[in-house]
Amino acid sequence: MKNKYMFGGAIIVIFLVIMSYLFTETNISYEENFSEIINSSKTMKATGSWVKEKNYFVDKSKKEFSFYMKDFLGNEMKVIYNGTIPNNFESATSVVVTGKYKNGYFHADDILTKCPSKYEEQFDQSKKS
Amino acid sequence: MLGNIVITIGFLAGLFAFFMYYLTYKGYSNTLGKARIGFHVAAMMTILASLILVHAVLTHQYQYKYVFNYSSSGLSTGLLLSTFWGGQEGSFLLWTFFTAIIGIILLEYTSKRGDLEPRVMMIFTLSFTFLLVLVNPLLKSPFNYLWMEPNFIELKHINSQFLSMPFMQNFMFEDSAGGKSFVRMDQQLYAQLMASGISFKQFIIDGKGLNPLLQNFWMQIHPPILFVGFAMSAVPFAFANAALIKNDYKDWVKQAFPWMLIGTMVLGLAIMLGGYWAYGILGWGGYWGWDPVENSSLIPWLVGVASIHTLLIQKKTQSSGGAGRFVKTNIILAMMTYILVLYSTFLTRSGILGDASVHSFAEPGMLVYLLLVIFMATFLLIGIGGFIYRWKALNSQFENEESILSRELALFTGAVALLASAIIVFAGTSAPIFGKTVEIRFYDELNLPIAIIIGLLNGLSLVLKWKTNKSQELWKKIISPIVISLILTTAVVFIGNVYNFMLILLSYSSIFSIVVNFEIAYRIARKKALSLGAYIAHIGIALFLLGVVATGGFSQEDSIDLEKGKTSSIFGYDVTFLGFNRIENSEKYAFNLKIEKGSSSKTISPVMYVSSINNSLMREPDIWTMITRDFYVTPLSYTDGASENSSNGGTSVTLKKGDYYDFKGNKITFESFNFPADAMSAMMGGGNFTIGAYLLVEANGKKYNVEPKMNSTGGNKEYVSVEIKDVDLRIEMTNLDASGSVGLTISSLSNKVEEIQQVPKEVLSIEASIKPFINLVWTGVLLMVAGFIISAVKRTKEV
Repeated sequence: MKNKYMFGGAIIVIFLVIMSYLFTETNISYEENFSEIINSSKTMKATGSWVKEKNYFVDKSKKEFSFYMKDFLGNEMKVIYNGTIPNNFESATSVVVTGKYKNGYFHADDILTKCPSKYEEQFDQSKKS
Repeated sequence: MLGNIVITIGFLAGLFAFFMYYLTYKGYSNTLGKARIGFHVAAMMTILASLILVHAVLTHQYQYKYVFNYSSSGLSTGLLLSTFWGGQEGSFLLWTFFTAIIGIILLEYTSKRGDLEPRVMMIFTLSFTFLLVLVNPLLKSPFNYLWMEPNFIELKHINSQFLSMPFMQNFMFEDSAGGKSFVRMDQQLYAQLMASGISFKQFIIDGKGLNPLLQNFWMQIHPPILFVGFAMSAVPFAFANAALIKNDYKDWVKQAFPWMLIGTMVLGLAIMLGGYWAYGILGWGGYWGWDPVENSSLIPWLVGVASIHTLLIQKKTQSSGGAGRFVKTNIILAMMTYILVLYSTFLTRSGILGDASVHSFAEPGMLVYLLLVIFMATFLLIGIGGFIYRWKALNSQFENEESILSRELALFTGAVALLASAIIVFAGTSAPIFGKTVEIRFYDELNLPIAIIIGLLNGLSLVLKWKTNKSQELWKKIISPIVISLILTTAVVFIGNVYNFMLILLSYSSIFSIVVNFEIAYRIARKKALSLGAYIAHIGIALFLLGVVATGGFSQEDSIDLEKGKTSSIFGYDVTFLGFNRIENSEKYAFNLKIEKGSSSKTISPVMYVSSINNSLMREPDIWTMITRDFYVTPLSYTDGASENSSNGGTSVTLKKGDYYDFKGNKITFESFNFPADAMSAMMGGGNFTIGAYLLVEANGKKYNVEPKMNSTGGNKEYVSVEIKDVDLRIEMTNLDASGSVGLTISSLSNKVEEIQQVPKEVLSIEASIKPFINLVWTGVLLMVAGFIISAVKRTKEV
């Protein structure tokens, strides 16, 4: 009887330890301040906006898409993404890129563009403010 | 207005029924009839409200904000019906609707079984009433009028003949950034319209339309089935709670069992239909992406399946006369299933997942957020409270008489493994609450060993007898399945080149469970057909897991550019881009691809279009489904040749007037267009014209003025590039834009590809992939559903 609970308890503890280890290992946090990203080697989700003045570049031979992104403080960094330009990149209000900062660039594995889905609502808010 | 009145009456009737059931339980003799009337009135009002919404959608009643926001006049009847659940309000009403239907059946079922009705229906009516609060006019009613709160409406939705009315000037707004005009629709404007004798039906001519991702068959059936599953999950909760109220834990197991089976079956089917939608329509390229919205309905399903297994043990161990084993576990699991459904609703509807999910759900507002929290907390407290209140009695039910080698223990271990999986998914899915997400591998790596364990138990538990087993006897029975599956697995490993250790283990455990289940199913097929359910479901889950091994471990994908008319080869398939044709009123483009392998071939047509509803480029995949694999194509982009002359190895940039680009130390500035005065009229008239771009190139301290050009002769565009030999530079104009930006391809002359193709080419870029044995995934799920149905029939007969 006692052994049974010891055994069950041990399995639960081992399970929880492995799960929390992998959780801390794989969790990705959102970061709005790019200076934090530049000083970290972890995979992060950077949220900011595209620097329109600096355009974007498509290198067809390398299948590479790159652009500059800035955070709310105005910090800029160059983002490189191996893939095609996402839908609606030009009209996106904000961009979320997932990846790591390495060798002076942010290497994105994934780009999520956020578009004003309901244009009127945004218009509504700007009217109020 | 009528809809809101109906919903309010329904809510009051629900509340009344709840109190009447409570009084009946307390011993009043004359309240049961009133309670039943109350419940039926609430249910009828819900059904009536749903019919009113269906009617409003079908007849385009755009005075309702909900109908205006999610539907439009051009939709087919099937799609119009699915606008019912296209938005939050309607999908809450759909959930309430199915809860009403299930409630009517449940009332009938419980009324025939002794004193069950007041206890069960009291709890069920409470959850029904909560839903009716959610759809009330102050929160999420689909019957609120468009003008009750100010709304900015684009001019295209409004009948233009009224725009010139003098009072309209006070309601028109110009958005300078987007260059669009809006009409502010509010109560004042509505009063003005009425005063001028303009009916609202004349004023608004069309709605905003349905999200293009929802405009397909799968979205017509996935949400209703999901909400049937959600509605049914409240039933085991009510039964478990009724058991706590009476302090009797024997009968509820049998009574709740068929409900649990059907509810879990429906939920599982709905989850997989959502997966098929993601695969066939959304173009995820897979059936499962561990997206938080998918996960949130998987969690209650896993707990539901676990509870089916522990309920079965309790039922089997009741033969000795007592309540059976796992009394506490079963009460907790039955209640958790429903609480997790509520948690799922909270996650997906509160706006918390906003950043983490591809499913976009708008913020519902503070009131709804609070109500969802209260809803969830109430049922959690009812559950925990009842449990603590009966703690002593529950503990005295404890029966302990197990040997290690018993089917009970194997089933229990299986349930624990399912719960572990549920906890993993729960932890990962809840991370967005703390502003984090987890990588996909968190789910993959943790669930893989659990899937292996589940596969093994799936076979082992059936070989074991109830209570005790002699190890010698067991060994005799199990040796042949072990050997047979070892041989089969070896074959799979070598034929399929499976060299990942974990995947080999998962293949083995799945094959083992198929062998065992198949053997038993074959033996009993003729004698006890209704007992086949469990075996069929188990073969289903094992086939599903094999499908996961194949698609998860051995899918190949790559992107490829297809030039029109030329045949390219990918993964051993020859692919030819035949051209495109316009479909669905010329709104969409279908790109026809001929795929050939050996003697068989098929033409598939992935689709791209720009949706007018969200102004997004939508891509729809197409699939060549074969028995052993799918050839899956997602379109990426298309260039029609006019702008794509040759971009071999160059860098493409887009520059606005005054912008520069730094190419290998050469600064290239776009100064202005050379746009001759006659070019505009020639462009309009279809004549010949030339447009150039003045560029300033600064290199090695020198400045060069160059002008790449575009010649248009009879509609054919030709681009003339410039070369600066001194600085090893070639610049070509690829695109020009009326807004004042120019597209350039810049390359070095030294590594320029020699032949510059003068013939314009049409190029379609696609992502192609091979999904081996994905049919096992679908077959597995369908078998699982079939197995559940057979078991439910059997268990219903037992009650």
